[in-house]
Amino acid sequence: MSTDATPRELVEPGGDDTEFVFFSGKGGVGKSTVSCATATWLADNDYETLLVTTDPAPNLSDIFGQQIGHEVTEIEGIQNLSAIEIDPDTAAEEYRQETIEPMRQLLDDEEIETVEEQLNSPCVDEIAAFDNFVDYMDSPEYDVVVFDTAPTGHTIRLMELPSDWNAELEKGGSTCIGPAASMEDRKDQYERAIDTLQDTERTTFGFVGKPENSSLDEIERSAADLGELGIESQLLVVNGYLPESVCEDPFFEGKREDERAAIERAETEFDADAMATYPLQPGEIAGLDLLSDVAGVIYDGKNATVDVGSATDVETDQSVDIDALADPESVADRVTPGDETRYLFFTGKGGVGKSTIAAASATKLAESGYETLVVTTDPAAHLEDIFGEPVGHEPTSVSQANLDAARIDQEKALDEYRTQVLDHVTELYEDKEDTQIDIEAAIANVEEELESPCAEEMAALEKFVSYFEEDGYDVVVFDTAPTGHTLRLLELPSDWKGFMDLGSLTKGAAPAKGDQYDEVIETMQDPERSSFAFVMYPEYTPMMEAYRAAEDLRDQVGIETAFVVANYLLPEEYGDNAFFANRRAQQENYLGEIKDRFETPMMLAPLRRDEPVGLEELRAFGDEITGLSELSDKPEVTVS
Amino acid sequence: MIELTLYEEAMCCSTGVCGPDPDDELVEVSATLDQLEEEFDLEVSRANMQHDIDRFLETEAIADLVDEHGPSILPITVLDDEILAESAYLSYDELASELRETQNATQEA
Repeated sequence: MSTDATPRELVEPGGDDTEFVFFSGKGGVGKSTVSCATATWLADNDYETLLVTTDPAPNLSDIFGQQIGHEVTEIEGIQNLSAIEIDPDTAAEEYRQETIEPMRQLLDDEEIETVEEQLNSPCVDEIAAFDNFVDYMDSPEYDVVVFDTAPTGHTIRLMELPSDWNAELEKGGSTCIGPAASMEDRKDQYERAIDTLQDTERTTFGFVGKPENSSLDEIERSAADLGELGIESQLLVVNGYLPESVCEDPFFEGKREDERAAIERAETEFDADAMATYPLQPGEIAGLDLLSDVAGVIYDGKNATVDVGSATDVETDQSVDIDALADPESVADRVTPGDETRYLFFTGKGGVGKSTIAAASATKLAESGYETLVVTTDPAAHLEDIFGEPVGHEPTSVSQANLDAARIDQEKALDEYRTQVLDHVTELYEDKEDTQIDIEAAIANVEEELESPCAEEMAALEKFVSYFEEDGYDVVVFDTAPTGHTLRLLELPSDWKGFMDLGSLTKGAAPAKGDQYDEVIETMQDPERSSFAFVMYPEYTPMMEAYRAAEDLRDQVGIETAFVVANYLLPEEYGDNAFFANRRAQQENYLGEIKDRFETPMMLAPLRRDEPVGLEELRAFGDEITGLSELSDKPEVTVS
Repeated sequence: MIELTLYEEAMCCSTGVCGPDPDDELVEVSATLDQLEEEFDLEVSRANMQHDIDRFLETEAIADLVDEHGPSILPITVLDDEILAESAYLSYDELASELRETQNATQEA
């Protein structure tokens, strides 16, 4: 790592122009806390500061002790600091309504409703999200604007396209990112925003992560994505390492050593200009004292205050009986097939351990006699490491009887999708021998369209859908499920069909694939055939993120969550001190809340000293979590 | 310069290459328009209801038609200021012959 700047130098405004600080990272790593701490610290240092948060579970109100909401609000008691909480869903809805409003003059309610449904597409959500950044990147009244979220490489590429796609724009056509003419007005604004993002003098990109290899892997991927677009990641904050004084047994001493190794790796490998670390606290991070402690460590080089010895501050009488929460029989029932193939999806943010849970469940199912396929779409693809055997793009058998594994290679999937579309178009012209159209030019045109980020998403979905046609499996386990957001893409064809039925009959038949997708969606909606499981650790933000994703899945695609997996539960036998007693009590509270919110059976998975590797460990772990060992009736015959 | 304008219903992408399966008709329409632009002194513009609602509202004849018949009247093909077709796309041959006629008429005039 090139430590050629201090965190302080990176976030402090240097010139007359407003500067921007973005923090990126998945939920539960303390990104909001770091953002709040940074904004408060800047305000304390006499900079006019605006804090913009899009956290799905905004807790600014708790931290600052006042209501904030959707309007810019001055923070009482902290000079120079204002904040706003943006709800991404509300923002997307506003964007949709703005688009629809003028159409009301021409269309009746029923027609408007159809357009509205069409505007419910993932691309529109992303455009709306980017608009949020753009709106606040024009804030001359502030010295510095701190965002607790950052645009991803994917979003930025989406927004860059309009400028690249000049040919299409000049014609006034529209592309799958939509707006051509209507985006024209905002095009300059988008371009300016992207310029600013690429300007290291005015913009600082920070990442917040945990001291774990999977967390660092994810950050490296996102940073590489941004790097390709000329955006440098300058600051890395590693949050939540175990304080040395509380690790008093081999289990936690070992954990702590792993963390040290991960931090060392970040120091040597990650190409950030500066790095800071902050320890895990016994309770939840909240309040101004904590913010100033965090900012003191990151920006003023102070030592962290960790109250390791204090008595529990979590009300233990609220804690729940973990054994009573576990419901192995219901879980077993939802992972095993009925008369038809069972599709089992493990979904959740990166780093929650879903690959391991998926691999262990698949291994156990195979051992129980079911023909099983486990598929990963994770670009990190550590299924190979987990099995300790090679896993290819096509299903490959591993040493466990009845078990195949596959890892979707995005590049290959994209190639397959491109070939498929181009073949289709070529065929289309072959049927019209006397056409006057220059076929090569037409195909070249289509080829260019296939360069869009949407094509990547479609390619991944195509591949995903293809596994529904694999014969010979009783269970297919996916270690990442598409979100409600991406599944909307599958639904689009049927929406179009609806629109065509309503409007002109001129468009010919519905897309040929429409029926196939309808069938896949139907399969996923059927609890007898499909189970969606959310993997999370029992903390506030991860729980809320999973809950929102589950709601999306229900509202947008009509899929109910089958069960939740609470992972990394602190073992009872280690960590015998006040620090871990606090952490444990906190986990128990959230387990209770997860149970109340999701109202589904729970699969409980303990924190391990090491992740299981190889079939033997996977079988043992699968035995512990799937509830299959509790079932007395082993399967007699296999399906298919 | 002849102006050819297509007023189309709300759609995600007019090129047809969007979603899981390309829309055959739209792929062909795009290719047709590209080629005609090369062969004639022609400027093509496409307006779809989702992205270019303003152009519908600004053009009285189009706004009136959609208001009266609903989106089933789309697509509307307009050559300079004359409506050539409603409710359906014209083929390459149809468009080419219209364009030749217009070009000849302009040259004679």
